Amino acid sequence: MAGSDLFVGTLDVLILKAVSWGPNHGYAIGRWIRQTTNDGLQVQEGALYPALHRLERKGLLEESWGVSETGREAKYYKLTPAGRRQLRAEAARWRQYADSVTLALDAAEK
Amino acid sequence: MKKLFRLSVGERGVRRDVSSEIDFHIEMRARELVDAGVPPDEARAQAVATFGDVGAVEAACRDERRKHVRERAWREELDSVVHDIRFAVRTLGRSPGFTATVLLTLALGIGANSAIFSMVNGVLLRRLPYANADRIVIVQHPVASLGIEDAGFSAPEVADFAQTRSIDAIAEYHSMSFDLLGHGDPRRVQTGVVSADFFQVLGVKPLLGRAFTVGEDQDGAAPVLILSYRFWVNELGADSSIVGKTFTMNDRQHVVVGVLPPLPSYPDQNDVFMPISSCPFRARPFMKTTRTARMVSMVARARPGTPAATVGRDMAAIESRSHAAYPDAYKGLSDAAITATPLRSAMTESARPAFLLLLAVAGLVLLIACANVTHLTLARHLRRQRELAIRAALGAGRGRLLRQLITESLLLSLGGAALGLLVARTGIGAMSSLAARFTARASDIVLDWHVALFTLGVAVVTGLVFGIIPAFVDSTDLVSRLRDGSATSSGAKLRLRSALVVGEVALAFVVLVSAGLTLRNLAKLINTNPGYDPQNVVTAHIDLNWTKYKNSPAVRQFAAELMTGLEASNGVRSVAIASAFPASSSSPQNRNPFEVRGQLVADTLRRPKAEVTYISPDYFRTIGAELRGGRSFTESDRDTAAAVAIISESAAKRYFAAGDAVGRQITFDNGKHWLTVVGVVGDVRQFGPTADVAEQVYVPFAIFTVRDVRLLARTNGTPAFAANLIRQTVRAIDPEQPVVDIQTLEQSRRDSMASSRLTTMLLGLFAVVALAIAAAGLGGVMAYSVGQRTQEFGIRMALGAERSSILRLVLGQGIRLAIVGLLIGGLVSRALAHAIERQLYGIRGTDPLTYAGVAILFVSVAALACLVPARRATAVDPVSAFKAS
Repeated sequence: MAGSDLFVGTLDVLILKAVSWGPNHGYAIGRWIRQTTNDGLQVQEGALYPALHRLERKGLLEESWGVSETGREAKYYKLTPAGRRQLRAEAARWRQYADSVTLALDAAEK
Repeated sequence: MKKLFRLSVGERGVRRDVSSEIDFHIEMRARELVDAGVPPDEARAQAVATFGDVGAVEAACRDERRKHVRERAWREELDSVVHDIRFAVRTLGRSPGFTATVLLTLALGIGANSAIFSMVNGVLLRRLPYANADRIVIVQHPVASLGIEDAGFSAPEVADFAQTRSIDAIAEYHSMSFDLLGHGDPRRVQTGVVSADFFQVLGVKPLLGRAFTVGEDQDGAAPVLILSYRFWVNELGADSSIVGKTFTMNDRQHVVVGVLPPLPSYPDQNDVFMPISSCPFRARPFMKTTRTARMVSMVARARPGTPAATVGRDMAAIESRSHAAYPDAYKGLSDAAITATPLRSAMTESARPAFLLLLAVAGLVLLIACANVTHLTLARHLRRQRELAIRAALGAGRGRLLRQLITESLLLSLGGAALGLLVARTGIGAMSSLAARFTARASDIVLDWHVALFTLGVAVVTGLVFGIIPAFVDSTDLVSRLRDGSATSSGAKLRLRSALVVGEVALAFVVLVSAGLTLRNLAKLINTNPGYDPQNVVTAHIDLNWTKYKNSPAVRQFAAELMTGLEASNGVRSVAIASAFPASSSSPQNRNPFEVRGQLVADTLRRPKAEVTYISPDYFRTIGAELRGGRSFTESDRDTAAAVAIISESAAKRYFAAGDAVGRQITFDNGKHWLTVVGVVGDVRQFGPTADVAEQVYVPFAIFTVRDVRLLARTNGTPAFAANLIRQTVRAIDPEQPVVDIQTLEQSRRDSMASSRLTTMLLGLFAVVALAIAAAGLGGVMAYSVGQRTQEFGIRMALGAERSSILRLVLGQGIRLAIVGLLIGGLVSRALAHAIERQLYGIRGTDPLTYAGVAILFVSVAALACLVPARRATAVDPVSAFKAS
């Protein structure tokens, strides 16, 4: 799954973000995460799929089958309203967390 | 084009979806690598490598997938159940008449069962509040030849029985009343007198303080008391600091050491408990050594796993050894036996037959209700067949439709059960007062979760029965109905409905017969000539304090002052003192063997026996009993040397030649004292109308004086006036003397019939419900039949049939159904007659008058029920009947 324990849940929020502009298939989601994070998370490509299925089971994503750009039938994931709410909440939480840590690390010695 | 739903359910579908998704990923990745210049044959291998462990990922995905499928199936199931319920509520709401009828029918049917079950549960099923309840055995000493249920035991006998192998503990008990002084007014308290380990043997832990400890029942131990919960709450306001406080009893200070938790009032309703060393009667030195001084009861604890019967056998062996070792102590008791009864049976056995009868009848009422709801449902399905057919045509499977129908019936039965619990709640007071006639456990009758669970179970079974039967009948012809869109196989359905109605009538007949029998029984009890006039007589119980009234002259002095005081009052017509009065108890209290001069019988077992009552001269005048010969007692009948007796008519008939009794002499003590019979008095129902007439001997209170007396006053005023007068007069003589149980003679008589009255009332209610439901069922089936035969009636009338002949035709059909039901019901009742006979006193379970009466009532009601459909049949217009076809 995620490269480090610190980032548990990070993959989920990135997946939700990746489909926030519209339905996408797994490969495209993975490619988007790799490119936007400059491979910084070092997610194994395969680790993405169990996460996708889990989010689908939780009702944050829903699936539909469609034809991909290469003409092959592919499974598309779409953000559900519940998924969109979750993304908003997680993003806010993540930013606050990152800010706190940054603040602490940047603090000057007393 | 995107397909909307593709959540594959099967395992193969799951595998295919997952692997095609991953395949797609690897293919896309390879394609990207090729675009970046990697040779195509290497690209795929590289793509797989960056993907990671394909097998593990697939497995993880499949896991999620399977979970997803399961959860989704659950949700859908739940959704469809919710949908079914919503739909059922809407559909039922559209036919409020049907819904209300079914709910009412089921509320009565289920409510009756819940109410009766709450009684059975509270009395027969609930755990007893004693930790060792299952091992406690009540030991009794019956003497059949004297008609004594329990002769009691003496201290030496208790000591013998303590050696019984099959028990590990034994305790003794008796109950007396004493005056309790301190903390408010003087009170007369019923006192349980017990050995120190009594509460440990039963397994009762006091609520406050402690139980008696070893040695507290030995001579010289400091006097202590334990209070009953009821007494503590009602008389002492649940004072939590009561432990350690003192009361005066029998001129000694008693310290309260504990308060008991709430317990059934078994074997007596005791206010307080004391150890045997505190009881002035039990503590007398000769009680310890005298084998014939039998005044206590025994409670034993069987060893774990030992049945009461074994304890009984072991004790009987000890008893027969004692008979052999001490023949003098068992004179006249040679047939004394030992019985050992488990505590639970001892407390509830008298309740069992009546309760089971009521439960059975309530069950019948529910069956009738069920049958009726079944054919109401059938009729409703008939009206709905178009809707059902359309839904079937739209693709609802047979299972789906069945589920919808069962949802409706379960909804109705659960609704009926909820209303039924309300019915049961209103009935619970009546249940408790009925049960109190039979058992000390009446206070345990509550609507608890056992009753709720029972009700739920009954509701579900009921709902399934009347949901499945009609649905099954319907679904068999669903297809044919679909094909031609008309009602088919209605003949088969009419047969089923007729069978249901016949069954209802038969069951209702059984219910009505049982109610009729108890009603006739009650009427007979009420009309039994009691042999006295219970109107305008007030009675009171005065138990004189033995420390104050130490001897007979003192008691007689009090009695004389009391009677003179009352007689002097306005409105009092006559006053008497007696040791007992009619219906003051339900069984013999003082039955003794006697001999007639000139006809001595050596064996006490073979002597004549009579219930002996001590009375003042005006007793017969006061209760209104009639003298049949000789004279009544007078003030001068106070000489022990010239003692006199009056015998009852039945005793005179049984033991003397006609007209021969007056002037003869009898003795109760082997000729030490002789009593001359001076009069014969008419029989009175001494033990209430349910008991047989007992032979009685009356002796003068002036010679045979007891402290525990009943006062009787015949007055012109109201009972309240008389009660007040009695209290005032007693207070004027002795302000510390309590007066209890003030009630009219009529009340005692009514009380002795209360269980019959309540049983009759309940069965009567059940009967009304059963009759109403069965009549409604019969009317319904006839209405259906008339509807089916509209054309036929049209043709008949077109051919010149009279309206009256059509009326007769329909009525005849209905009454024929009723009669078939009555015949079956008659046979069933006949077969069950012996079961109900145990509840009857004056009549047989096969009483022909009851059967005939119920049959006539039933046929009349059946005719009435069929009249409405029959009149509709005669109103058929031949022309429109043809047009409709």
